[in-house]
Amino acid sequence: MTALIDKKILEYLADLGRIKLNENEEEKLLKDLQNILAYFQELQKLDTTKVEPLTGGTIEKNVFREDKIRKYENPQKLIESFPEKENNFLKIPPVFG
Amino acid sequence: MDLKNLTIKNFHEGLVKKEFSAKEITEEFFDLIDRKDGEINAYLRLTKDLALSQAQAVDAALANGGKINLLAGVPLAIKDNILIKDEVCTAASKILANYRASYDATVIKKLKNAAAVLLGKTNLDEFAMGSSTENSAFKITHNPSDLERVPGGSSGGSAAAVAAGMAVAALGSDTGGSIRQPANFCGVVGLKPTYGAVSRYGLIAMASSLDQIGPLAKTVEDAEILFETIKGKDELDSTSVESKIRNSNFEIRNCTIGLPEEYFVSGLDKKIQTKIEGVIKNLEKLGCKFQKISLPHTRYAVACYYIIMPAEASTNLARYDGIRYSRNSKFKIQNSKLKDIYFNQRSEGFGEEVKRRIILGNFVLSSGYYDAYYLKAQKVRRLIKEDFDRAFQEVDVILTPVTPTLPFKIGEKINDPLAMYLSDIFTIPVNLAGLPALAMSPGFQLIGQSFQESNILEIGKTYEQSYNLSA
Repeated sequence: MTALIDKKILEYLADLGRIKLNENEEEKLLKDLQNILAYFQELQKLDTTKVEPLTGGTIEKNVFREDKIRKYENPQKLIESFPEKENNFLKIPPVFG
Repeated sequence: MDLKNLTIKNFHEGLVKKEFSAKEITEEFFDLIDRKDGEINAYLRLTKDLALSQAQAVDAALANGGKINLLAGVPLAIKDNILIKDEVCTAASKILANYRASYDATVIKKLKNAAAVLLGKTNLDEFAMGSSTENSAFKITHNPSDLERVPGGSSGGSAAAVAAGMAVAALGSDTGGSIRQPANFCGVVGLKPTYGAVSRYGLIAMASSLDQIGPLAKTVEDAEILFETIKGKDELDSTSVESKIRNSNFEIRNCTIGLPEEYFVSGLDKKIQTKIEGVIKNLEKLGCKFQKISLPHTRYAVACYYIIMPAEASTNLARYDGIRYSRNSKFKIQNSKLKDIYFNQRSEGFGEEVKRRIILGNFVLSSGYYDAYYLKAQKVRRLIKEDFDRAFQEVDVILTPVTPTLPFKIGEKINDPLAMYLSDIFTIPVNLAGLPALAMSPGFQLIGQSFQESNILEIGKTYEQSYNLSA
């Protein structure tokens, strides 16, 4: 069987997670993930064609609530916790360019 | 004062009889922590000002002749992935090193309303990802009964604090065994409530379809007191529900307990096997009947869990982008590109295990792999849940060991993630099925039906009063 994950896929997945791996990390992770993914193959032995996926916790029921505005008790506190701000705005780098 | 054996019940009695004040005891706890925690490392941070003001309020209420709650003045430890307003909360990750909570988690609000005293925040595996508390970005917690060994994880700091007498009880969180396994490794009681029984509002999320907050305590009775205080429906957590009322027909002498054959296999340590056999004999003396059952999909649980959990964790952890919550001060907005902030903050902020799970989560959710991994795991999850549903048609409660092995040495498994994952083999199925489970000495777990915590707690209390406390 071919390897389930290689360096190229690993780099792609890390990029999706906005993580840059150094060479040591890459080497170790590649080995770990190959072992873990090989272990997952166990599941392929089970026939699940007629099984419905269980998508959440135990109660598979949608929860509704009234769509009403609730005032947050202390918005200034949230603003104070911004890592960087200008006036009362959260400061971020330019999104384009 | 013997802090090590102090329970909620006898603390309350002493306080009401004015044998001590809440402030005196709180100060004694901080003295003990100062002397002892240097070698155990259970706490990441103490919340002294908060604790002392809470204790003084209890003393004032008592002096005014007010009636006080059972939890009033009781010194507790809180896992550092549960938010306490105005206190730093890191989830033991560098990425949240500077994050200060702007609100109380619902469980904290409830504890504050009950006038409990919060001593500090306890160590954990980063973002609750691990089984040994070695994955903390800040320190390694040691098992109080053998400092060379791990306390278990991820709620290892909470378990060690309770075991060493540095808190009367504690809160932890359990996604795949993170309350029960450390409780077991440290010799204390741990309860993982039914999925939905306790609000997770203000818990730093790992895997949202599995996470539950629950108590760690010295006795089952104390665990029950804490559980009764923190449970209930919360508007702010849509998955929470009101627990059913107590099943008053339940009697331990009419109880049938299932023993799943898949949990008593060759990998089980002989010493644990012998202890469990002793527990079964003791429970038989109390009138419990035992029946062999089968949970045939148990062997698939670890693989199923390590697909679903990273998928959810990688999604939950996307929010730590360096723009919100906390940022390493060396990364400035000025002259940075948005992507640089993301990459710098996340590459430096997350530890090895967290990166591993984010990448694993991205893998199983990627197009081309989704059906083979994530969807497959969700189907297997249903089969595992149905195993339990079938078993509970025949038995009231299920008894298993908590872990296949005794506490391992610090460093023993840290370089082999798969071996570490497999150490949770007996606790994981319970989370996948959303069930409640109680872990207690010596090394057994009682699994109950959904929202029937009262049954497993009843058996636990009777067992404890008949055997553990008299020992």
